[in-house]
Amino acid sequence: MSDSSELDVFFGSKRDERPLGIVLEGSLSTGLQVKLDPRYAIEKLAVGRYVVIQSRKTGSIFFGIITDIALGATTPDLLHHPPDASDPFLLDVYSGGVAFATLHVSPMLMLDDADDQPRPIKTIPSHFSAIYEATAQDVARVFGEEDEAHFFIGAPLDMEAVQVNLDLERFVERSSGVFGKTGTGKSFITRTILAGIIRSGLASTLIFDMHNDYGWSVMDETGREYKGLRQLFPDGRVSVITLDETTSRARGSKFDGILTIGYEEIEPEDMEMLASLLGLSDIQTGALYFLYQRLGRKWISKLLDEQHEEEIQNMLDSGRIVGGTLGAIRRKLESFIPRMGFLVPGEGSKVVDDIFQRLNIGTSVVLEFGNYGNTLAAYVLVANYLTRRIHASYVHRKNIAAGKKGEEPRPLVIVIEEAHKFLDPSVAGHTIFGNIARELRKYNVTLLIVDQRPSGIEDEVMSQIGTRVTCLLDNEADIRAVFSGVSGASTLREVLARLDTRQQALILGHAVPMPVVVRTRDYDQRFYAAIGMDESDDASGAKPPAEDKLFPD
Amino acid sequence: MPESPMMIGRVTRCSTRGFVGAMQVSVKEVPVFGSFCQAEAQSGRSHVVGLVYDISITDDHFARQIAALEDVPQEQIADGQINRQVPIEFNALAVGFRDDAGFHQALPPRPPLTLASVFSMAPKDTVDFTSELHFLQTILNAPQLPVDELLATTLRLSAQIRPEGERERFLLQTGREIARLLAQDLTRLENILCGLRSEG
Repeated sequence: MSDSSELDVFFGSKRDERPLGIVLEGSLSTGLQVKLDPRYAIEKLAVGRYVVIQSRKTGSIFFGIITDIALGATTPDLLHHPPDASDPFLLDVYSGGVAFATLHVSPMLMLDDADDQPRPIKTIPSHFSAIYEATAQDVARVFGEEDEAHFFIGAPLDMEAVQVNLDLERFVERSSGVFGKTGTGKSFITRTILAGIIRSGLASTLIFDMHNDYGWSVMDETGREYKGLRQLFPDGRVSVITLDETTSRARGSKFDGILTIGYEEIEPEDMEMLASLLGLSDIQTGALYFLYQRLGRKWISKLLDEQHEEEIQNMLDSGRIVGGTLGAIRRKLESFIPRMGFLVPGEGSKVVDDIFQRLNIGTSVVLEFGNYGNTLAAYVLVANYLTRRIHASYVHRKNIAAGKKGEEPRPLVIVIEEAHKFLDPSVAGHTIFGNIARELRKYNVTLLIVDQRPSGIEDEVMSQIGTRVTCLLDNEADIRAVFSGVSGASTLREVLARLDTRQQALILGHAVPMPVVVRTRDYDQRFYAAIGMDESDDASGAKPPAEDKLFPD
Repeated sequence: MPESPMMIGRVTRCSTRGFVGAMQVSVKEVPVFGSFCQAEAQSGRSHVVGLVYDISITDDHFARQIAALEDVPQEQIADGQINRQVPIEFNALAVGFRDDAGFHQALPPRPPLTLASVFSMAPKDTVDFTSELHFLQTILNAPQLPVDELLATTLRLSAQIRPEGERERFLLQTGREIARLLAQDLTRLENILCGLRSEG
C-alpha cells in the first residue's frame, strides 16, 4: 500500500502502534478469533469496542466490533495442572504463552484501495492479520459527519468525542424499532430521535403518546424536568392533541386540540383489535360486523341505549344472532365505552382530516392520552382508529400522485408504544399496523415501534424492521427477536446483554453503516440548543403555534 | 567469567552437531556445565558456538594405583590432579556459529578440525548470542542429553551476565519461549521454569 493510497486518506497513515493481537481463525458468518497480545491486559477491553484489522496480504482495512472475550489455553492439561498461583514468575510466563486471551471480533465493514467509502464485508482478513483498537478518527470516519439528514444520536462507548450519526433518510424509509426493558430509557432515546426527524423535516410524525412522554415536559424518577417536543419546537412544527383535557390541563401541558371520537365513527374493524382486551370471543367479534350491518352507523348508541330495544329484539327474532352473544357484546361495550370520556355519542371532533392536513404540511402530531394511557384498550382503540383512517388517506393520496393528479403525500412515521399489542402474531396478519410494517414505504407511511417485549411481535413484522435501537434486554426470547432477520448479528447478543441499564443502546440496521453501541447523547440544555431551540422561546408555550386554527378548542 | 575470550582447550573429536575438547587443569578457567564456548573452524573464518553439556575426567594407570593407597601424600594428590597424563574432556553441543556477519543460530556449515582452539565465550558475545532464542529448540531436540538441566543452567547463566535490570525480563522472555515450545508437556515445563530461577 503506498503512502498516498486511498486507505491512508481514509483511515490515516499506517499504524505503528503495537497490535492488539492477530487473527487466528474465523469465518464470514461466525466472525474472527483473535489471539490477544500478552502485553495487553484483557481487563482493559470490553465487548462493543471497535477494532480495525489490517489485512496482512492486501493491506485492506476491515472495521469490526468486539463481540466476545475469552480465556484459552494451548493444552487442556492446564486445567488439571495450573501453575503455583503464589509464584508471580510462573504466572507471568504462563500468561500469554500457554494461557492466553482471545477476542471474538465480528468484521462489519471493509475498505480497500478501490473504494472511497466502507462497504459491507464479503470476505475476511487472512490469517495472522494484525488487529488494532480503532481510534476515534477511525470511528468518526465510518459514521460520517452530522448534517441535515444525519442526526447525532450518541457516542460510542469510551469515545466521547466521536459522534454516531443516524442516517435519518434511511431511518424513516423503513419501519424502525426502539426496544428495551422498562426503565432503560426507551422514551428518551425515542424522543431524541423524533426531535432529529422533526428538525430535519424529512418526515412528519404521528405519536401515540401513551404515557405523556413526548408532547410536553416530562419528569424522570429524580424529579428533573425535561422538555417535550412541543417545547423544543415552539414554532408550530409540533402539535399536541389530547384525549384527556382535564389531565393535560392539570399537568400544565399546552395542547392544540382535543380529540373526541363519536360513537357513529367507530367501525367494527376499530373494535376488532380490542377483542382480547375486552374478552370478546371469535364469535362475538364476528357478530360485531353483523351488528354494524344491521344497525348502521349508530350501532354502538343503539346497543348501549335501551331506547332501541325493539330494533334489537327484531334482530334477535330474525335468528341471525343469539341472545347470549348479543348480551355479552352489550355488557362488554357497556363496561368500556362509557368510561372513555373521549368517546362521545354522535359525531366526534372530526380531527382525522385535520391531523392528515397537519401531517401533510410537515407538522408532527403528538396524541396525548392523559389518564387514558393507563387503559390499554383505549390506547389500542385510538391508535387503530386513527391509523386506519390516516393510512387510508395516504393510500388515496399516493394513488392520486401515481396518476400524476396530485403531489406525493409527505412521508409519515407513526410512533406506537406497547407495539406487541398491535403486532402480536394472532392479530398482526390482518391489522393496519401489520400491513404498514410489511408494505415498507409503499404509501410513504412507516412505523416507529417502541416496545419492551419484542418477542411478542410477529416474526415477519420484526424482520421488516429496518433500524433497531435496542436498550438493555435480558430475556433470551426478546434478544433473539431483536436479531431476527439480521444476518450475522447474532454475535452481537453478548454486546446487547451487557449494556448498562441507562443511556446505552445498540443500534443496528438500515440507518447505520454498522452495528454500534452508543451512550446516547444527554437530553439537556445542550441538546435543546443543538436542536435549534432558542432559550428565549417561552417554554410555557405562550407563542401560539402557526396552525392553531386547525384545531379549535 | 573472564571479560575476554580465553583458550580453554583443543578439539579432539567433532561433528556438525558438536565437538569434544580436551584441556589441562592448569588452565585457569575450567568450562562449566551450561556455558558457551567457541571453536575455530574454516581456518579461522568462522567459529562454531558450542554449549558445554558434559565434562569428564577419565582415570589413568597411576591414578588408580595411588587411589588404592591408604595414606596419600598431598604432593602426590596435587601431582595427580595437575600433571595429568590424560586431559580433562568436555563435550559441547553445536548451537550456532559466527562468521563475518555475526552470530547465526543454526548448525555450522563445517565442523572445527582436530586440535582447533576452543575459547570460552566473552559475556558480551553471550549476551549477543542469546538475544535470539532459536537455539532453545536445538537444545530441546538434542538426544540423550540432560536437556532440561542444560537449558535451565544455560539461561540462568546468560541472565546473570546481563545488567540487573534486564535479568528478569530476559528470564520472562525465555520462559515464555520455552512455554511455547513445551506447551504440551506442562510437568517438564514447570521443572525447567523452576530451574531457571534457582541459584546456580
